[in-house]
Amino acid sequence: MGTVAGEGPRPAPPVIAPVVSRGPVGRRRRPSGEAPPLPRHAAASTRWYLAAIAATVALEVCLAIRPLRRWITDADDLVSRPVTGLRAGFLTPALRGLEYLGSVNTVRVLVWTTIAILLVTRRFRHLLTYLAVLLLVISASSMLAVGLGRMRPTSVRMLGFWDGYSHPSAPVTVLAAVSVGAIYTLIPTGRWRNRAKWLAAAAVGLLAFCRLYLDVDHPTDVLAALGLGWATSVIAYRLAIPDDVFAIRYRRGRTAHLDVSGRRGEAIIGALDQQLAIRVEAVEPFGLEGSAGSTPLRIRIRRAGGTPATLFAKLYAVNHLRADRSYKLTRMVLYGRLEDEKPFSTVRRLAEYEDHMLRLLRDAGLPTPEPYGFVEITPEREYVIAMSFFEQAHEITAGPLEDDQLDEALHIVRQLWQAGVAHRDIKPSNLLVAGGHVKLIDVAFATVRPTPWRQAVDLANMMLTLALVAGPERVYRRAITIFAPEDVAEAFAACRGITIPTQLRSRLRRDSPELVNTFRRLAPDRPPVAIQLWSVRRVLVAMSVLLAALAGLSAVYFYAQVAGLL
Amino acid sequence: MSRRAVSRRLRAVGVILVTVLLSLDVAGCTTAALTMPGCTALERLGLIAQSVPSAGYIPCLAQLPTGWRSSDLTVENGRTRVRLSSDRAPGHPVAVELRASCDVGSATPFPPRTPGGRSYLLLGSIDPRYSGTMFDVFPGGCVTYRFDFERGPHIALMADLQSAVGFVARRQLRLDLRRRLGVELGP
Repeated sequence: MGTVAGEGPRPAPPVIAPVVSRGPVGRRRRPSGEAPPLPRHAAASTRWYLAAIAATVALEVCLAIRPLRRWITDADDLVSRPVTGLRAGFLTPALRGLEYLGSVNTVRVLVWTTIAILLVTRRFRHLLTYLAVLLLVISASSMLAVGLGRMRPTSVRMLGFWDGYSHPSAPVTVLAAVSVGAIYTLIPTGRWRNRAKWLAAAAVGLLAFCRLYLDVDHPTDVLAALGLGWATSVIAYRLAIPDDVFAIRYRRGRTAHLDVSGRRGEAIIGALDQQLAIRVEAVEPFGLEGSAGSTPLRIRIRRAGGTPATLFAKLYAVNHLRADRSYKLTRMVLYGRLEDEKPFSTVRRLAEYEDHMLRLLRDAGLPTPEPYGFVEITPEREYVIAMSFFEQAHEITAGPLEDDQLDEALHIVRQLWQAGVAHRDIKPSNLLVAGGHVKLIDVAFATVRPTPWRQAVDLANMMLTLALVAGPERVYRRAITIFAPEDVAEAFAACRGITIPTQLRSRLRRDSPELVNTFRRLAPDRPPVAIQLWSVRRVLVAMSVLLAALAGLSAVYFYAQVAGLL
Repeated sequence: MSRRAVSRRLRAVGVILVTVLLSLDVAGCTTAALTMPGCTALERLGLIAQSVPSAGYIPCLAQLPTGWRSSDLTVENGRTRVRLSSDRAPGHPVAVELRASCDVGSATPFPPRTPGGRSYLLLGSIDPRYSGTMFDVFPGGCVTYRFDFERGPHIALMADLQSAVGFVARRQLRLDLRRRLGVELGP
């Protein structure tokens, strides 16, 4: 018998776990709730460096006010007196010798060595940052010196060499800036960098002491030089080339790949658990050599029933976004707009786009990985997109292909055409054979509603990939059972070096350099499609890039002359 | 403002700053600002006085005639150098240098420009160009002016040059620095 409503004990309401709220702890402001899995990390020392910069700015303001400047000069004299009081017969020549730490020759050696290493290791972002920071620091130092026009100390007789206005101390500024630059662009984070910092600090400190002992600089000149040359440089490098994104490595491999051990690895595991309810057991890099646009990962998981499984994932970060931008800009300058060359605006958009393409292609019935969604690691900076992993799969060129498999591969292009999508990156490493069937992976470059030209290029790349194993005649025979011979002819009329992905191009060059021409001979005659596309936008962008490069080079040349580096 | 927004703004400011600095450097503004100080710029004159501690007089910019500009001031221990250029003598700036002493050789004296000092003129050429060295010699110091003018406008240019560069007595500079800035200039 049931109970009448309103009578008897009411059932306890179900407990609904909070989703977006948390205990009101600390200061509350947007975004409220849990912190992201990997919050933006700022080293504790960053605050100290920022405080040093603020103190330097305050000092400059005070020096610009005449009464305060008088007090500062008095205070400088008070501090200098004990230092110059140490002057002794044996010490003075030694410190005059050590003053060469800040000489133009020392700086020249440091700067050119750093530039040479950065060029040899092809670390151009670090090189540009290094030059920009040096330019910034040296220019700011020169402008301050001219603006303030401070005399040299007058308390005791100067013993060392000096040149120009006293504030800020130019040799200390420059030595600090070039040392910090070398450390932050050449030495990987960790023990060696820490050692290098101590070494550089000792050298800069020694030079500062020499300058004070010889009484060629005021103490505040040296402090401002440290604020400008050391603290400002450190902050600039941490902003422009943060270690967690642009890590310095000397072992072989692509620099685009991020380290997924440590805090980032834990954050990925936590994010997949919390945001997609995926129980992760291990995260490891996978297939790094085949990818430059993201950090590919293999993720070992355990399903609800306890069965182990594997997922494939990609970690997208700011460096991948920047690489995408520069890649598209370069292509546009060199060839005009081939296709949709609009760069992604954020890392989130990159992940969203690939997730969308995976779902679209799955719905179109293409043999692509099953999408699992994506998770946020650091808001707007790092995202991981997860998808199914093809177990026991091998690259399509790793073994012989049956006719059925050739047909499957060619059908993929047909399906793409029917779905109104172009893959735009068909190459051996993106075509796998798993369980005897052909699979298509890496849909990040795919585009919806492509031009017929781009669809034709997909067909050409598929046929070239297959021909690496099956030969051109056989592939052509199978292709004309699925495509009209005119379409095949159009595909090879559109085919150019730039339209062939790098991996496929190098395989063709190595194994079958005549493959494209063979296909052109087999297919009906078709005049080639010109690749160059001129537009006002392309001309303007190309001119802007050229002007920016010239301005940069002129600035570097000019400042190198001013700084005595040439 | 969120931390991200602050970071973005910081970067934007950084980019603008670097761009401005690049432009300034390309235009040569950084060094162009190193000009000879005027005769009332006490601390800047004090630095020149420090470069040659024995000099009884310190050269300064009294009145820069129209069409002239000063550039490339270099002050270091032992000497001070600066260039004075006129738009009527393009590519031939006058090199002005203060040292503790100089060799006037066979130069011809002319009315002194500093009390207790002597001035000389040593001509290297009169025609087709008017070139040579002018000397202002005074206790503990000497200023040389190496000029190379086109014949014709050279008379006006020489007059301009002499009116452009003035002198401040070290004794007066020492008093002013002590009284107004509390700085004690050496002997």
